Amino acid sequence: MKRWRYDSANDLDRTLVERLRRFPREPDMLVYGLRSLGALIIRAWLRAYHRFEIIGHENIRTNRSLVIVANHCSHLDTLCLLAALPLRKLHRAFPAAASDYFFQSIPRLWIAAVVVNALPFARQIHVRQSLSLCEQLLANPGTILVIFPEGTRSTTGETQEFKCGIGALVAGRDVAVVPCFIDGSFRAWPKGRRLPRPKRVRLIVGTPRNYRSRNTDKIDISAIAAELREAVSKLHQTNESH
Amino acid sequence: MMSPQIALHDPVFRAYLWIVLFSLIAGGALLALLKWGFKKETSSMWRTYCSWLIMAPLALLVVFAGRIPTIIGVMLLAIFGFKEFARASGLYRDWWMTGAVYAGIVTVGVASLMLQPHGEEPGSGWYGFFVATPVFAIALILLIPILRNRARGELQGVSLAIVGFVYIGWMFGHLGFLANTNNAYGFICYIVFATELNDVAAFTFGRLFGRHPLRSKISPSKTWEGALGALGVSMLLPWLFRFSFPFFSVWQLVLTGLIVGIGGQLGDLSISVIKRDIGTKDMAATIPGHGGILDRIDSLIFVAPMFMHMAGYYYPLR
Repeated sequence: MKRWRYDSANDLDRTLVERLRRFPREPDMLVYGLRSLGALIIRAWLRAYHRFEIIGHENIRTNRSLVIVANHCSHLDTLCLLAALPLRKLHRAFPAAASDYFFQSIPRLWIAAVVVNALPFARQIHVRQSLSLCEQLLANPGTILVIFPEGTRSTTGETQEFKCGIGALVAGRDVAVVPCFIDGSFRAWPKGRRLPRPKRVRLIVGTPRNYRSRNTDKIDISAIAAELREAVSKLHQTNESH
Repeated sequence: MMSPQIALHDPVFRAYLWIVLFSLIAGGALLALLKWGFKKETSSMWRTYCSWLIMAPLALLVVFAGRIPTIIGVMLLAIFGFKEFARASGLYRDWWMTGAVYAGIVTVGVASLMLQPHGEEPGSGWYGFFVATPVFAIALILLIPILRNRARGELQGVSLAIVGFVYIGWMFGHLGFLANTNNAYGFICYIVFATELNDVAAFTFGRLFGRHPLRSKISPSKTWEGALGALGVSMLLPWLFRFSFPFFSVWQLVLTGLIVGIGGQLGDLSISVIKRDIGTKDMAATIPGHGGILDRIDSLIFVAPMFMHMAGYYYPLR
């Protein structure tokens, strides 16, 4: 009789907290269930409290891998972008989250890993490693990466410069890059405020772009970052709230 | 016949409250003596002990809360214990199989919770269906490859799922069904306390006198000395704790001692066989100092059904 091969989980010897901190995380029914439930509650909350609406929803209805790029001025931004995705794709959608902020304290870790399915992004020291992790994820079809290339929440509500990392990730790679603009999240829940205010929030999804033919040198990378920032700001101007 | 009001006035339950409290204090004092008196290295034992400080009151609280919490508590332990088994054996990658076993475990819980079906002697729990749950769970597990029209490699999944259900879901589920019995507090408190004490005794005797390996290819740290010492303690305990089942005759006390003393060791060893074959040390790292949930409940898996059917042979259970 041939011996069985046991395909054990990779994190057997880790404690529960370490298992949440690890990335990629092993699939877990309980986590998937809680995440779906959380997403339903968050969607209802956004609709009711922030009168959330999505413009250009058809631009992210695809089964291929996506990189979603957006402006960032509030914790609501991630929730809005996730609310635009179908529930079943949530477990393959990874918002890049600062590992120094979201992956240290246990309550934040729990929200980041279970509710948001965040990817720990070391924004200060191991940027290159984090980027290569993103590249590995994109190699599987159906992966959705949510990236805020400003690197942190804006304290003024204005979109800041985009970091070059986003250019390095998408240059020369056949993946759809979707610029998005989130309007109103700064008024609703700015950095430093404890609880959100009941202000209207809109998500404007732009048309996908592709940077497969671009070079991966420094000039092109920063050009892509600038172009994406331009695209995001343009979405804001053409859909000025009325 | 379990509820917080009854538990408060039940002499057996109250006795176990004191016994557990005393054991925890005695254990702590012993460890403190080892550490400061004999200057022994005890950090790993401290972690194990600290986990006991949480687990023991929690278990008492669930039993105190009544029949329904006890059955649900056993069901949750079985679900999370099985999850550890599934993650270690790779069965967890197959969510349909895992889901079928979960459904089976919930069925065991529901059969234990049900009230007085017609056609059976009155009493809580549907005994006939409870002992027949493997029929339905195995049928469900075998149905899954048929439903998804796949045969390649399915036998491994089916086998692991059946072992997982029968071993962790159903055999361990007998502990929950004991909550339906006339002497629920005595039975449940005794077998949980005696089995855990049996584990501790095996560990202690092994550490003190252990020379000859019990099963060298399965679990190198277990020894004949530890096993026999634990059996001795378990044979003595029914007499000391006779108040838990005052109606037991001498022969039944001997059987109780044998079931706990031998069944506890066998449960431990069978989980070791599974772990050894998979190639993992612990099933998980959920409980600090103990390993996984399954590493803690493993000895109860043999003891609970054997004890229940032994008692059911001599006395009406419900």
